[in-house]
Amino acid sequence: MSLFWKWTLGVLAGLLLAAFVSLSILAGSPRDAYGMVRYALPHMHRGTLSVGDDAPDARLVALDGSSHFHLRERTGARPLVMIFGSYT
Amino acid sequence: MVQIYNDYKDHADFLTVYVREAHPTDEWQMKSNVKEDVCYAQPKTLAQRVAIANDFIKRFKYPIAFGIDDITNAADAAYSAWPERLYIIDEHGRIAYRGGMGPFHYTPEEVRAWLAQRFGAVKHEPPASSSAMQAPAKPLSATTADTAR
Repeated sequence: MSLFWKWTLGVLAGLLLAAFVSLSILAGSPRDAYGMVRYALPHMHRGTLSVGDDAPDARLVALDGSSHFHLRERTGARPLVMIFGSYT
Repeated sequence: MVQIYNDYKDHADFLTVYVREAHPTDEWQMKSNVKEDVCYAQPKTLAQRVAIANDFIKRFKYPIAFGIDDITNAADAAYSAWPERLYIIDEHGRIAYRGGMGPFHYTPEEVRAWLAQRFGAVKHEPPASSSAMQAPAKPLSATTADTAR
């Protein structure tokens, strides 16, 4: 392998290592850094909705696990505050 | 958010939309999950997701209305909600407030400010003593025993 490519690969490896170390510090540990990259980043989307857009409808399941309702059924009379999240 | 709900439930509706788990045991589980005994695998079926949602409500006696996203994560996709996010929909069905992406930009204070501007501020007296239980500000996805704010 030519010196150029060795140097290039070395620099890339160094940059990747620095990035991973920085991410580990940010996330708290190398394990958390891996978790963030592997599981979180692929699911985090900035999205395209903006204030003023029509709120998308969605079909949701009630806590009994069987009955359903649509988001649009909960809008109209008063402002609706929506809290998206999970237990973990 | 529970505090905000209590303050403004006479003026606005609140709905919790339960989405895919943020830190399940089979993906990116955090130490705090273990510490606070919030250990669940990522649900593969709607029934599993419903069961976890019910566990949450039961543990924290969570008072806000609940809707669970289908296992296809349609609501999450429509609102780019994961891991947690806040929205306000106005009476015309339009987005009046779109919160930042959680966890770092999940800001209930902005929801309170919007509601306060519309319906007036609700002030709270500080606790009488330093030993009084004060709920920390945490999103739904936070692994804490108290989600009240």
